[in-house]
Amino acid sequence: MNIKGYFRPKTMLAGALLCGLISCKSNAPKTTNGEVSFPRNQTLYMAGFQWGEPNTFNPLCDWPAFPVGGNYNLMYEPLLNYNSSNGQMEPLIAKSYQKQNGAISVILDSRAKWSDGTPLTAEDVLFTFQISKTYPSAPTAYVWTNISAVSADSVADSSSESGKAERVTFTISKERNNPLAVLDHLQAVRIIPKHYIQKQLDAANKDLAEFQKVKLDKDPVVSGPYTLHSYSGEKIVLKRRDDYWGKVLYENRLPKPQYVIHPIYKANDHFSIALQQGNLDISSTFIPRIWQKEKQGVRTWYSKEPYFVPAAMSMLFINVTKAPLNDKNFRRAMAHAINYADVKELAFSQYSPNLEPGLILPFGTEKQFYSQEDVDKYGAKYNLEMAKKLLKDAGFKSVFNSNGELEYMTDSKGQKVPTLSIKSPAGWTDWEAMVQIAVKGMREAGIDIREGFVDASIYFNSLPTADWDLILHAPSVNSTPSQPWTRFESVLSSRNWKPVGEKMNENQGRFNNPKAKDYNYKVDSLLRVIPNLNDDAEKLAAYRALNVIFMQEQPTLPLVYRPEQFYEFSVKNWDNFPNESNTYTPPQVPCFGVGIKALWEINSTAK
Amino acid sequence: MLKRYPTLYYISSRAVWYFITFLAAVTINFMLPRLGPANPVDIIMARTAGGLDTKAAMEKEESYLKGFGLVELNKDGSIVRDASNKPVQSPLIKQFFNYVKMCLKGDLGTSFLNYPKKVTEIIAGAIPWTLALQIPTIIIGWIIGNILGALAAYKRGVYDGVIFPAALLANAVPFFAFGMLLVYVFALQFNLFPAIGGYAQDLMPSMSWEFISSAAYYYVLPFFSIFLILAGGQAIGMRSMCIYELGTDYIKYAKWLGMKEHKIVFYMFRNAMLPQLTGLALSIGIMVGGALITEMIFSYPGLGMSMLTAIQGNDYPLIQGITLLVTLSVLIANFSVDILIGFLDPRVKAGIGGK
Repeated sequence: MNIKGYFRPKTMLAGALLCGLISCKSNAPKTTNGEVSFPRNQTLYMAGFQWGEPNTFNPLCDWPAFPVGGNYNLMYEPLLNYNSSNGQMEPLIAKSYQKQNGAISVILDSRAKWSDGTPLTAEDVLFTFQISKTYPSAPTAYVWTNISAVSADSVADSSSESGKAERVTFTISKERNNPLAVLDHLQAVRIIPKHYIQKQLDAANKDLAEFQKVKLDKDPVVSGPYTLHSYSGEKIVLKRRDDYWGKVLYENRLPKPQYVIHPIYKANDHFSIALQQGNLDISSTFIPRIWQKEKQGVRTWYSKEPYFVPAAMSMLFINVTKAPLNDKNFRRAMAHAINYADVKELAFSQYSPNLEPGLILPFGTEKQFYSQEDVDKYGAKYNLEMAKKLLKDAGFKSVFNSNGELEYMTDSKGQKVPTLSIKSPAGWTDWEAMVQIAVKGMREAGIDIREGFVDASIYFNSLPTADWDLILHAPSVNSTPSQPWTRFESVLSSRNWKPVGEKMNENQGRFNNPKAKDYNYKVDSLLRVIPNLNDDAEKLAAYRALNVIFMQEQPTLPLVYRPEQFYEFSVKNWDNFPNESNTYTPPQVPCFGVGIKALWEINSTAK
Repeated sequence: MLKRYPTLYYISSRAVWYFITFLAAVTINFMLPRLGPANPVDIIMARTAGGLDTKAAMEKEESYLKGFGLVELNKDGSIVRDASNKPVQSPLIKQFFNYVKMCLKGDLGTSFLNYPKKVTEIIAGAIPWTLALQIPTIIIGWIIGNILGALAAYKRGVYDGVIFPAALLANAVPFFAFGMLLVYVFALQFNLFPAIGGYAQDLMPSMSWEFISSAAYYYVLPFFSIFLILAGGQAIGMRSMCIYELGTDYIKYAKWLGMKEHKIVFYMFRNAMLPQLTGLALSIGIMVGGALITEMIFSYPGLGMSMLTAIQGNDYPLIQGITLLVTLSVLIANFSVDILIGFLDPRVKAGIGGK
């Protein structure tokens, strides 16, 4: 676009002012080697992972900026990758893995190297895992819940040059005995360079808190295909590493984009505008009515409903310690009163297949554990008459006024039931709409309930302590090797039981109190057994049993399926993105897990 | 003794008052975010605690409380605990004195949510954009608005017929609606100006001509989104002030004397401008808040968004840092205007000297 035509004295003046102000800002040089321009045909723009100012690129901080932390494979890499479309683990730093009795071991790829040329060895893997044992406040400390020890040795390996390969063995904690969770960790933890980090830790007197103040934003030592080029409050720029060791995994090819830029936008609709204008190639945000943007070259995995691949669910957690919510018939009546088709259509822009009762997704890798028979027999579907009948049978009476609006409700003892409330963050419009639809249906059925929108900080604050009646929450949204077990665990487990008022990070509704008389030991024992089952028939039976308990007890109310991540792309400047008819990666943004393969396959179409 | 130097007395008495106001404002800025029910560590823990067992989650929470200086520490650096083994929260007053002590050293602390970024670092990165957008807009808008207002009042007729309704309209449109309208028309429909950002996305801030011209081009829409509304508001105020001045005896007298028109306009303008000057100082105060809306509409770089996320996340140090900055700029602007009025306004001047 020709910009000269728009120059006016005023903008010139503004430019001069800006120039003056920026000159005082730029004494901290953020561009590492003087390059200021990124050619469009070599640059991929993706957004939606970094919302605020980039804080740090230190992998030992809790919330480092994109692409450190999270499941991004751009700078730091995990041992293995999980392919959510076929349920297989794929090699990366580790060539293969093996489950043994009480342990999982991986064979490292001897070709793996850090960006400074140092080989990536078992030392680095041990260091990465040990560090969170030494420092329990390190971000990956959670692995030690499921792992009791990590050790390394070497084994014969004919495929490597030296004839030997390093093996790292992870001993599964006896107490938890959960190989599934250990597999989760192997694809979630990003390996960090010992020779580089240890030196800096020593310089910080081995004090982790002190080391966390180091931002590692200048020439970091990484193993991935990209490294940090520069950043500002408006964008993060990554540059391709032409000596990336992993090109051997891609017939010696490098990823296509020389630069990956993550612009930081401040409002939701900017992602959609930028996609339509071709300024953004990939976005991972909720954009309503995506089908209207097709003409502008905006695409999703499916070209038709539901557009995205569902992998998790949003649900209402119920505080089952409170009357009348402690009555399972009341909870089942609630489940019958919600118009799930409306939730999907009005709150979620059709981005979900029709919801089936239960906690198992009836498609994808979880389909093998799904039983339509159980769901038809025990599941609660939208049925107002059924909801009213359940309430009546349980002794509840609802009083409506002459306009048909609910006035109040009484329980079996004739006492007025206090108005219930659904807590949800204010201003999250899609969540607000879900709550409103749920409230509308329940009130029609005669349940006295209202929306309780609160500030997001208060919402997060109260989620683990259960100072609510119902709360909207999307538990365990990541596609990991352990699904759907993790979803069941986060909804039903009472292994970390804490009374209301104290914090629980799963089963926040306090279902199945282990100290209560009606404690159902089957739930926790099934949760404990499933990770160790190898036989498919046994797994199916166990999952069916858990799902039936869930449907009978209805400790939470699933509302709608949601994707692991939103993934929209524009075909204006790059093409050959993976989609339903081009499934060379799972439906993941091309920086996430296995999805990164797409960076090798896309082609620039920019002029 | 000072009374012998009335101007000095006036300035120093104003300064004392402003200093007291400053102290009160700093205290309120410190207290307000801490009075709410939510605690920053809880908010951070909600994001980090997933997958941790209870003991690990507690250890992590305590390391945060300790890192943020929210709990009492023993001499050996361990956390002081109460009878039920819970960490003892640092009393507010102690936190406050710590804060004041750090402030005096020029250290505004480390942001909780953007850990380990320093508050000063965040402000330094964003404030040039906020200032570059807001200061010229406010000043140019103020000058143009006042000239138009004076013109409408003095010339009447067609001028008033056009300027006054236009100013009323501009002033009545909410900031955000007008900004979005500009984006829709000029960026999306006609594609004349960019919709998003402070400079082209394939550039990094630098001193190159390429970057500066790009920043100037991206400046146009945000500038007009504030400028027109601000100028409209000023024009309305100035118009009524001028109409009042035009009815006063001294203007009538000047007219009877047959003074030159531009001289009369100058007198009228000078006197009508005084209240407008106070308005200008106040608008510096809403600068950061106003920047937020512009930032959200254009994804423009600046301080407003940092302020919003800091408040949402109870990021005490960042809230304090930004409000301190706002407080200081409002007070300095008002103080300067007070002094300026002392010299410009004959009535105040007489008051100073008359004692």
